[in-house]
Amino acid sequence: MSFSRSEAGHKTSMAGGLRARLLRFGALPVVLVICIVVFQMGNPRFLSSANTINMMQQGVFLMLIAFGQMLVLLSGGFDLSVGAVVALTSIVSAQAMVAVSNAYPDSQWLPIAAGFGAMLATGVVAGLINGFGVAVLKVNAFIVTLATASIFKGVTLVISQGLQVSGLPRDFVYGIGSGRFLGVPMSVWLALPVLVLIYLLVHHMRFGRYIYAIGANVRSAVVAGVDIRFYLIASYVLCATVTAFSGWLLTARVSSGEPLLGGEFPLNSIAAAVIGGCSLRGGEGRVFGVFLGVIFITVLANGMDLLRIGSNYQMIVLGIVLVGAVVLDRYRSGSGSGSGSARR
Amino acid sequence: MSEAAKARSEGEVFASLSGVSKFYGSYAALKDVSLTLRRGEVHMLLGENGAGKSTLVSLLTGANRPDEGEVTLLGRRVEGLTPAYAREAGVNAVLQDFALAPTMTVAENYALGREETWGGLLSTRTMREQAVAAMAAIGVALDPDLRVDRLSRAEQQLLEIVRALGGKPGALILDEPTATLSHDESERLFAAVLKLRAEGWAILYISHRMEEIRRLGDVVTILRDGRLTGHHRLSEVTNEKMVAEMVGRDMGHFYPDIMPRPGNVAFETRALKAGGRLKDASLNARYGEIVGIGGLVGCGKAEVARAAFGLVPVDGGSVWLDGAEVTGVGPRAMLARGFIYLPQDRRGEALALNRSIAENITMEVIGRSGGLGLLAYSKLSSIVSDLVRRLNISPAQPDKQVQELSGGNQQKVVLGRALSLPRKVYVFDEPTSGIDVAARRDFYDQLSALVANGAAILLISSDLQELVHLSHRVYVMQEGVCVAHLQGEAITEDAVVSHAFGAAA
Repeated sequence: MSFSRSEAGHKTSMAGGLRARLLRFGALPVVLVICIVVFQMGNPRFLSSANTINMMQQGVFLMLIAFGQMLVLLSGGFDLSVGAVVALTSIVSAQAMVAVSNAYPDSQWLPIAAGFGAMLATGVVAGLINGFGVAVLKVNAFIVTLATASIFKGVTLVISQGLQVSGLPRDFVYGIGSGRFLGVPMSVWLALPVLVLIYLLVHHMRFGRYIYAIGANVRSAVVAGVDIRFYLIASYVLCATVTAFSGWLLTARVSSGEPLLGGEFPLNSIAAAVIGGCSLRGGEGRVFGVFLGVIFITVLANGMDLLRIGSNYQMIVLGIVLVGAVVLDRYRSGSGSGSGSARR
Repeated sequence: MSEAAKARSEGEVFASLSGVSKFYGSYAALKDVSLTLRRGEVHMLLGENGAGKSTLVSLLTGANRPDEGEVTLLGRRVEGLTPAYAREAGVNAVLQDFALAPTMTVAENYALGREETWGGLLSTRTMREQAVAAMAAIGVALDPDLRVDRLSRAEQQLLEIVRALGGKPGALILDEPTATLSHDESERLFAAVLKLRAEGWAILYISHRMEEIRRLGDVVTILRDGRLTGHHRLSEVTNEKMVAEMVGRDMGHFYPDIMPRPGNVAFETRALKAGGRLKDASLNARYGEIVGIGGLVGCGKAEVARAAFGLVPVDGGSVWLDGAEVTGVGPRAMLARGFIYLPQDRRGEALALNRSIAENITMEVIGRSGGLGLLAYSKLSSIVSDLVRRLNISPAQPDKQVQELSGGNQQKVVLGRALSLPRKVYVFDEPTSGIDVAARRDFYDQLSALVANGAAILLISSDLQELVHLSHRVYVMQEGVCVAHLQGEAITEDAVVSHAFGAAA
């Protein structure tokens, strides 16, 4: 008798824990598993090691950008300029690499270092401009980054004259772009420390607490003595820099500087973050959720490719999924506050 | 109303709840509670935060439906009451969550949902006139063309009340209406309530303030933990009995006697001028004492602290801390120097609502540890669990989102942040507005401990009794100017009120 009772109690607490975890990440893990099962049934090659590595290669760029986007979303903003930053980085870093390798034809690593430096500078400057607009001029992030997206795009086209930049260093294209280590693409290895750093920043460092606080209620953060301006600018700088890094890796992948690279990233990165549980009102979301969100979008795109669903249809599906995720998010937060008001 | 009609309507049941229960999972927000609202009667509802008052109100307004028991409106049993039906039947409610459209004007808000039209077009002028007339009826004079987000919180509250009165006559539910009102505004509200009672309205009035309960109430219903613990005619019950039924124990003397141990001057403002509203305030607070600032809403008493802390730009004068000038250094620098200001608007200004208790409490602590800013979780959680226990925060779950807590417990979280680091000067802006008796008492005990430890306390309060009983000195503000400084025996409610109105010479 007593045995069965404790058994039942254990079960309900386990169910409660599961429910809490589901509420935390929404229905995403479940939907993700369903997608994987469906795609696997549709095409047995889906979960093959070749395709899995392929998905890692495809997803790593979005993963970096979505992590950056998350920082800005947590602080209560947006960054619509991530696509333009990718293109700008691609051109600037490619031109730097080509220029340095023309000057020092014997060195393979010097041009790559120059490209890396140009990438960092592009990201930091772009982020400072966005952060300045949001934190100092106090213009809505939507407008600021929409405007800077246009500016960065214009600058990209002016300095590239709309042309590709080719002649990148061999080691850049074949080492970073398509190289592998232990079977895993080089760009994934390079992205990994950045992703870990962002995880630490968000969940284990003061920085994360402060951007959550700013996003949740900027006035209460002021009253608690948080340096709003510094942390807002820092989140935009980090977002743009991570985005630039992603753009640099993507440039290696496509083996040339491309002025039209990355147009899909603003939508996809926000979609991944929101699907992963970030609130558009700020102050809510977790790294693991965004991680799952990016995997979901990558799996969806890759799986539909394998099922020979055209990219035009994929755009339609992504749009529907995004709206669905936002509605789910509202249901989730609605149920949370509902139980709260019940207790009052 | 004729005498006959009055006799008929008086005592007639307008609405009743019988044996209602409301469950959330296994948690009973209300259990077997009955309540009868009669016309021409002011029914006070008393209970701590979390006692089930708001849930009870939600059953009457149709926002929630009971899991057990019956709701009767106008003599008819109603299953599945909806907000629209309730409003149609004449249930008008002014709840604590503001329900105004911030970007619309006073007049537009007044007419919202019952716009006057002429051939499909809005009759703007009629609605504007109606709004002005309705406000004038209870002595409120707001600019009908002003946007609501430009109004103070008290003014918004008044507008909500005016709006509720413009609905179909029947019942009026007021949830702590005076929490944000000044003395003067409260008086006008009381007059309006008594007038409605005379006109045969049924009034349900939630309040924590004994003075109001005594002045307005005919009957009182007391809830504790979702259960009915008392129902009396106010003429037949003592305050002590009501409080005991509300908190389940004897509260003893309500305001603690806090002994001042005045030391050096900790904080001082000299001819401070700020934000348009504050014109001239010179005042100081010494270590080891509580200094009160009183005055009407809009007199600038909060601005003194807000300007000193750096939330409002200073236009003139100076601010001093420990003999050093700190004018305009900003919140971060003020906090670093041991000066903390706790705003009145908890939800809007003091808390990150969708973050946890722990994160809210440790918001400042994490900024004080050096290094890379890596969070020392074990140290943080011991700070949090210590404060949660000391302040009796309930539920005692540090991971709980602050928005799920009751008002009193939210206030304790704010206080938790204040106590998370040692400070020299604490400024509390309306610290007990909207919190229940037990939470108040807990807060006063904390105040007492802070004073004993030698801190300087500034207490900005519209609650006259609180101000008068706790403060060792009181400054009174009137229209942006600090007009009086009361000490010792001179600190009385009458003195504060007369200086606040400018009646005293």
